[in-house]
Amino acid sequence: MVRRKITGAVDALAPRTDHKCERAVDPYDVPDDNAAIKKRRRTANVDLNAQSPIINDDEVENDENVPQPELEPTPRKRRGRPPKAAPTVTNGQATTHSAQRQRTVQAVTPIKSNGVDTPSRRSIADRSARKKSARALIERVMGDAVSDDELEDRDIAREIYESSEEEQEEEDDEEQEQEEEQEPATPSNRGRPGRKPRARARKRSPTPPRDLPPHEQYFYQNKPGLTKTSSNTLSSLKLLTHEEYFSLLPKLKDSHAADVDFLHSLHAESFPQWAFEMSQGFTLCLYGYGSKRRLLHNFACYLNSNYPSPNHRIVIINGYVRTLTARDILTTLLSALSPNPDSTSDLTPTISALLSQLSSTPLTLTLLINSVDSPSLRKSALQFLFCTLACHHSHKIRLALAADTPDFFFLWDASARAQLNLAFHDATTFAPRAPCEIDVVDEVHELLGRKARRVGGKEGVIFVLRSLPENARSLFRLLVGEVLVAMEDESKNGEEAAVEYRMVYQKAVEEFICSSEMAFRTLLKEFHDHQIIASHKDAIGTELLSLPFRKEELESILEELTA
Amino acid sequence: MAQVHSSTVPFEEDDHRAAFIFSSGEDDRQLPTAASRPAKKRKLAGAGKKAASQPQLQQPAFGSDSTFIPLFNGAESPEAVNLRKELFEASWPVLETRIQHVLREANRSTLDEVTAFLQQAAQEKTEKITAGFIITGPNIVSQDLLFEQLSERLYTEIRARVVRLRASEVSNLKAALKKIIRDATANESEDDDGSVVVPSTVSKALFYEAGVRTMDVDPKKGRKYLDYDLDVLSWSDRIQFDVLFGVATSVELFQARLPRSTARLLYGAQFDVVQANSVLESVVKTAVAGSRATLRIGPSLLRSLVDRQQEQVAGIQLFVSSVKYAYMCHFYANPLSVLLAKQLDRKLLQPEHLRAVRMLESFKAKVEVAIDARQMNHAQAMIEDDDYLIAQILEQQQKCEDYLKQLLRTLHLISSTGLSTVSFTELYMTALSKGIDLEQADEMIRPAEVVRRMNADEFLNFIQKLLHATETGSPELELQGWASEAEEFVDAVTELRGEVEGLMERSKHNGTTLRSQYSAQSKVLRTTVVAQKVQLSQDTAALTEEDKAYTKAIDTMTALLSQYLRCEPINNLFLHEIWVYDSKLPYREVFVPRPGAAFARGLSRPHDYLACACCSKVDGGLSSTLPTTCILYHLYLEAGALINVADLWSAYYGLVGNDDDGSMNREGLDERSALVCFYRGLAELRMMGLVKQSRKRADHIAKLKWL
Repeated sequence: MVRRKITGAVDALAPRTDHKCERAVDPYDVPDDNAAIKKRRRTANVDLNAQSPIINDDEVENDENVPQPELEPTPRKRRGRPPKAAPTVTNGQATTHSAQRQRTVQAVTPIKSNGVDTPSRRSIADRSARKKSARALIERVMGDAVSDDELEDRDIAREIYESSEEEQEEEDDEEQEQEEEQEPATPSNRGRPGRKPRARARKRSPTPPRDLPPHEQYFYQNKPGLTKTSSNTLSSLKLLTHEEYFSLLPKLKDSHAADVDFLHSLHAESFPQWAFEMSQGFTLCLYGYGSKRRLLHNFACYLNSNYPSPNHRIVIINGYVRTLTARDILTTLLSALSPNPDSTSDLTPTISALLSQLSSTPLTLTLLINSVDSPSLRKSALQFLFCTLACHHSHKIRLALAADTPDFFFLWDASARAQLNLAFHDATTFAPRAPCEIDVVDEVHELLGRKARRVGGKEGVIFVLRSLPENARSLFRLLVGEVLVAMEDESKNGEEAAVEYRMVYQKAVEEFICSSEMAFRTLLKEFHDHQIIASHKDAIGTELLSLPFRKEELESILEELTA
Repeated sequence: MAQVHSSTVPFEEDDHRAAFIFSSGEDDRQLPTAASRPAKKRKLAGAGKKAASQPQLQQPAFGSDSTFIPLFNGAESPEAVNLRKELFEASWPVLETRIQHVLREANRSTLDEVTAFLQQAAQEKTEKITAGFIITGPNIVSQDLLFEQLSERLYTEIRARVVRLRASEVSNLKAALKKIIRDATANESEDDDGSVVVPSTVSKALFYEAGVRTMDVDPKKGRKYLDYDLDVLSWSDRIQFDVLFGVATSVELFQARLPRSTARLLYGAQFDVVQANSVLESVVKTAVAGSRATLRIGPSLLRSLVDRQQEQVAGIQLFVSSVKYAYMCHFYANPLSVLLAKQLDRKLLQPEHLRAVRMLESFKAKVEVAIDARQMNHAQAMIEDDDYLIAQILEQQQKCEDYLKQLLRTLHLISSTGLSTVSFTELYMTALSKGIDLEQADEMIRPAEVVRRMNADEFLNFIQKLLHATETGSPELELQGWASEAEEFVDAVTELRGEVEGLMERSKHNGTTLRSQYSAQSKVLRTTVVAQKVQLSQDTAALTEEDKAYTKAIDTMTALLSQYLRCEPINNLFLHEIWVYDSKLPYREVFVPRPGAAFARGLSRPHDYLACACCSKVDGGLSSTLPTTCILYHLYLEAGALINVADLWSAYYGLVGNDDDGSMNREGLDERSALVCFYRGLAELRMMGLVKQSRKRADHIAKLKWL
């Protein structure tokens, strides 16, 4: 008895260790297939056995008493159950408590010594919450007189209890999920959503409130514990490949095609107005859902046909092209101004050259920019370029922008907006995006984390290389150079350009990039990890290396690397 | 529609090109197509006119000028269209020049100070770097003009090369140096007529403008530049450097970021810039209220423009653009704007114009008033007789001018004599919306109170101001003096002045000060003890004869003022729709867009845009007929912060798919087709930034946006 008192004190003082121990032999515990947990439980049991056989007795008793509710088929009946259990309660309660408390003290040691794979704090809390709620239910039944203020607690207790029951039914599904969750050394806090808030939320509002303003919705949906989702995965679904996607796509009929065309024609009616606004020095900015590529193209047609002038040039910039650079834009603009442009390598002089050339010619330029908020145009240097063009004094450049995201507004600070002098128009087109605008399959797979897509284009490669040591960069430069040479040669026979592994290794050694094949392999491994290189064997077994980029991309990468 | 079809073909080949010069190889084919476009609805129409266009085959160069399209469903005569265009081109540029002038004037004192400081610093020849700090306040954006003027000024006055560095332009030291060298040398070759300039005579002023947004970063950069300058100090015997900083916050904050060693090397001075509010005030006076403004900006539009200036730190340029846009809207989309022409040719007016006039609210109101007043002939003629109506319209032009004159005079008198403490803009907006009637209790202007509180000297001063304002008018408002027109008023006021002067003489002679019944000192608090109780009573101190006469003079004055200073609300005028533009809608759509709301609406209620038959029933709900992305968006809304793609897919497929039994929903998609749609929708959601990959659980995506 003395011992029990002490354990009681310990229990009160250190509830967390208490939970930890309970975790190991919790009778309500989900039978866990997880190897780690099993192992831990086993050790705990062994320790318990070694220390005191009495506890084993308690455990047995405990196991007999408490799992009974699990036999009940539905939670509904369970709700009616407690009175039935009343007669046995005194006994049951006493044993449960003693069992728990005794176990507490003795079980502390093994867990601590074992403490490598601590179960997630939350799951411990959940289990203990479940346990406590079970205890509370039993206590309530035992002592019939319940004060009013306990009522709410009781409800909560029951809910927790029941929700855990439900989960046991889903158990099989969860097993896999739990495996995933428990594996990391430090389990994330949200890995296992708390059951308590969820249960409450479920009772009070079965569906989330509908009419909340967006910010409230945000807080509502980000409440801890509300991120509960089912554990279904797409494993049963065969994901689409590019080939399948493009073979199915033409067969699909868009039932709204006519409506989309109609909407387009409505927007097209605004062309004269837009032209007028642009002529008055405003920069058009079209936003809204749907692709605006066709709209801008037709706008260009309109401008071309209604204001035909030898001194007017329209330049279209497709922001969705991932490889778009400032130089592309500037060289195009320069070539629009004069037939044989002399482009310099530096960015800024070209702007001033452009502007000075513009002041000296009678030409006017109209820039139509698709997807102005696409990743390739989001760089401040490019936006700055547009601002500079827009606020050029002779007002010979007019801009029309089309934005695709709801956040395009943040592209510009106040100063940029003042320079652009924007006039916004809601041009929701509902037009589907063309394959050139969006790589559907890659986007989705990337979203699902199914296929780590190779780092996107030139920027990605540069980014990766920046994080690698100098000799890796030199090696990649070497590789790019060799592949480009190979491309020149092989463009005639139409094969994919690849270089021989041996040859590259030799050159790398010659250039003191690496001294051993081991080091060479290590460097290549790094490239493989980022998927900026591919290797395969040809018919006679020669190992070949290739780079998964287009020729232009490779050229610009090489430029960047040698700069 | 014709256009839509014709253009799907050619642009496919330009798909993957990043930037290219547009050339439609089929100009000849496109032109007739465009010319035969169907009638169209104008979104812009300020007065709610529906109009359409039949683009004519006049072909001005885009950019130099642009065509207006004929309104009245294309029935508007080309002359009328041209007139509208001419009116716009005549009215706005004038105003724009005026505004530019005002803006430049506003910076004058700052410019003078800075120039003087630099000149003086140049003479002193200190070892330190001369540094000017221009405190622009948060609206550093709108100070482009100031810096521009400064460089012009410095070049002309002290032959300084000015290189302007902006935080956003030069991200590192190298870029900064490049820009400095380039700009400085570029100027040289341009400006110096080939003569070689001895470097010691060239002084370069570096502008460093610290934007408010990047304030934490900028001072550090500023430090870099200063470090650079320290290096350049070795050259300072040959090149003199001055640095000017644009500071959005305060010099103290800026200094806190500099190392002491750097700060010690600076020889600085601080300059303030005219604050945005006062600039706005002068722009409003000039461009909106001034008599040169052909079009009145209505009170509610003006209110939202002004509020926006104050709530968001928007540059004055935005205000100017907004006013310009109002002009554009009015002349572009309101066919009745031709009536604003000074010499209106009667032949120009088409039956449509008159019909449109008869649709106006103010026309209806006028006719109703006439009927109430039993002027049946007048009312009937207005409705039926076109000539009569035209005569009325022409007559109204003069009335409007008179109204405007009266309004501006009233406002000028009130604001220049200190009758009201609120700003002119505020006063102007109130006058337009509610009119001015001094007898009505008004929060803003209580002339009676102001005048009564004056002592005799102030009163005379006030009269002086009144007379002065009447005589000279206001150059800002382009208001001529009107003393000759308001003889009665001037006489009455002058008479009052003589009277009060006489009274002052007399009371001085008597050794008392002149006071009125209303002045505070005249009230005396008396305590009387009656039957052991204290009674308080207020007594009018005995007033002398002069005092009484003065009181009377004050009363006369207030009566005079309230009789003379009055105007009606602008909406009471007949045909106010023609010369007042007060539609907030285009302004809001064009300048204060709500892209989030537009996206949310498009995605959640596609029917609003598509007007398709299939989705009309669901009314914002979920239905299998919605476009894929919309369905996914609905499901997205229902989901929590973390979305299980497997569940999303099964929910989607459950909605659009055909049943496996084949019995139900025969129209549904088979699994692979549905998956293609699903992919597209998901990819679009991602492209719009609504979702991102979640690493927390397999096949889960995280919600990013709550539109």
